[in-house]
Amino acid sequence: MHDVLIIGSGLGGLECGALLAQRGLRVLVLEGSNQPGGCMQSFRRGGLHYDTGLHYVGGLASGQAMHKAFAQLGLMDLPWQRMDEDFDHVIIGGRHFAFHQGYEAFVEGLAKDFPHQREALQSFVQRLQNITAEDMDVCAYDYLCQTFSDELLLNVVSAAAMKTELRRESLPLFNFAHTCSSYIESSWRLRGDGNLLVNKLIDTIKEAGGEVRTNSRVVRLTEDDGRITKAICADGTTYEAGYFISDIHPAVLCQLLEECPSVRKAFRRRMTSGENTCGMFTAQLSIKPDTLRYFGHNVFVYDKPNVWTMTEENDPVKGVMISARVPEDESETLRQIDLLTPMPWYECQAWTETKVGHRGEDYKDLCQRKTEQCITLAEQYIPDLRSKIETCYTSTPLTYRDYLGSPEGGAFGLRKDCRASMLSFHSVNTPLPNLLLTGQSVILPGIEGVTMTAFETCNKIIQDNAR
Amino acid sequence: MTREEIIAEINAELAEEFEIDEATITPDAPIYQTLELDSLSLVDLIGIVQTKYGVLISKTELPNIKTFAQLYDYIEQHQK
Repeated sequence: MHDVLIIGSGLGGLECGALLAQRGLRVLVLEGSNQPGGCMQSFRRGGLHYDTGLHYVGGLASGQAMHKAFAQLGLMDLPWQRMDEDFDHVIIGGRHFAFHQGYEAFVEGLAKDFPHQREALQSFVQRLQNITAEDMDVCAYDYLCQTFSDELLLNVVSAAAMKTELRRESLPLFNFAHTCSSYIESSWRLRGDGNLLVNKLIDTIKEAGGEVRTNSRVVRLTEDDGRITKAICADGTTYEAGYFISDIHPAVLCQLLEECPSVRKAFRRRMTSGENTCGMFTAQLSIKPDTLRYFGHNVFVYDKPNVWTMTEENDPVKGVMISARVPEDESETLRQIDLLTPMPWYECQAWTETKVGHRGEDYKDLCQRKTEQCITLAEQYIPDLRSKIETCYTSTPLTYRDYLGSPEGGAFGLRKDCRASMLSFHSVNTPLPNLLLTGQSVILPGIEGVTMTAFETCNKIIQDNAR
Repeated sequence: MTREEIIAEINAELAEEFEIDEATITPDAPIYQTLELDSLSLVDLIGIVQTKYGVLISKTELPNIKTFAQLYDYIEQHQK
């Protein structure tokens, strides 16, 4: 019998596991696939490690938003490397802009290019620092239109927000602000792959007496007297626990709850009818040795100032994020860069019935075409990038769906909608008092959002136990 | 949609979704007790009304809807 059983070992699941194990609770994390970590996991090919979803983290300097949380989780021991002072570069229509770390420097940097918008920039960073739950009801795009009269600047300040799904009609300011603010405070990359983070959390869980089991897919939860009592895995193994935390997509959780009488149809309907966010196309490039100098900033390249409409139709590719990986041997040249661009699920429709490695030539052609388009855009910043590429691995929303169990390959979980915030932002509570939610679909996506949610989820259990 | 049509449809829907006997739903019956709503399932009620009629019950107006008759009124006044 465990105190807490966690379904899913994504960042949120492992963070909950670590936090509760540190509190002396007996924790068991069950992962359905053969590798823990969800979006944080990395894979090895040709002697190099490639990351799935980890690119950079904001607010890790002492006193900033994420520092305290990561310190508590033991993650500040990892080799974080502060990015360049100008941490995000934006190229739109051939014009080059930079975001600088620190709110004042951010304003001053952009005010050089947009002197007539200095006050608007100051107002913008003020707002970023004062975001409240009420901003879940505020439309981010409308707010930006009201704040910036210069349309190019509106696009520039939004250009690095590829960490969420930019949708004009629905994205809440709450989400937009959280994907900007901590990075402006300070931006960091990990010297090493995402598995460092995953393994650190697993070590914390194990050192405190907990366990993480892979190849343990939960297929059913059973209820007795208004509480979940058992998790039953695909191989028939049954686990009992006092609390259960779901770090899987809420729609997938509902499939496990089919025999639970306390979960009424109305709850199932709300959890299964939410729309998923768009996915991402990623071209992961290994670069020939000594051909490209490492750069400690991200670059976002767009053909035109259409940052907010790109996710609706991104074929051909209209914008790309270039993320360089910190050289682990402290060399001045890099070996890997990722090119990322949003990819809506409808572009994957022809292959929804296929599995990894068996999607056919048409799919390979699609990936090839998208890669070429991404490289063409990236060459606005890295001239002659093509000639420097050694190998290229691609992933699409189908890859996310098949490896990570994310419905429709959504990169940011369930979509949040400022027009219906009560329906799209979820509580960590469920109709069963000992079943709680965590992960990117609940409140906010991204490393910061998932970490904030993990603390909220754990606080419920900690408060319960204190009673 | 007429008021009678709304009443027939929403009553059947709420009975089905909240798994209660439809006969317990009367115009003056208290919504919270009848549907056994808490803060979590209240959101489910809002979701049903929004999905079914495209009517979003705002946070400010929510406290004014205490009976089924008040819910019918709200839907009738706001339906598109």
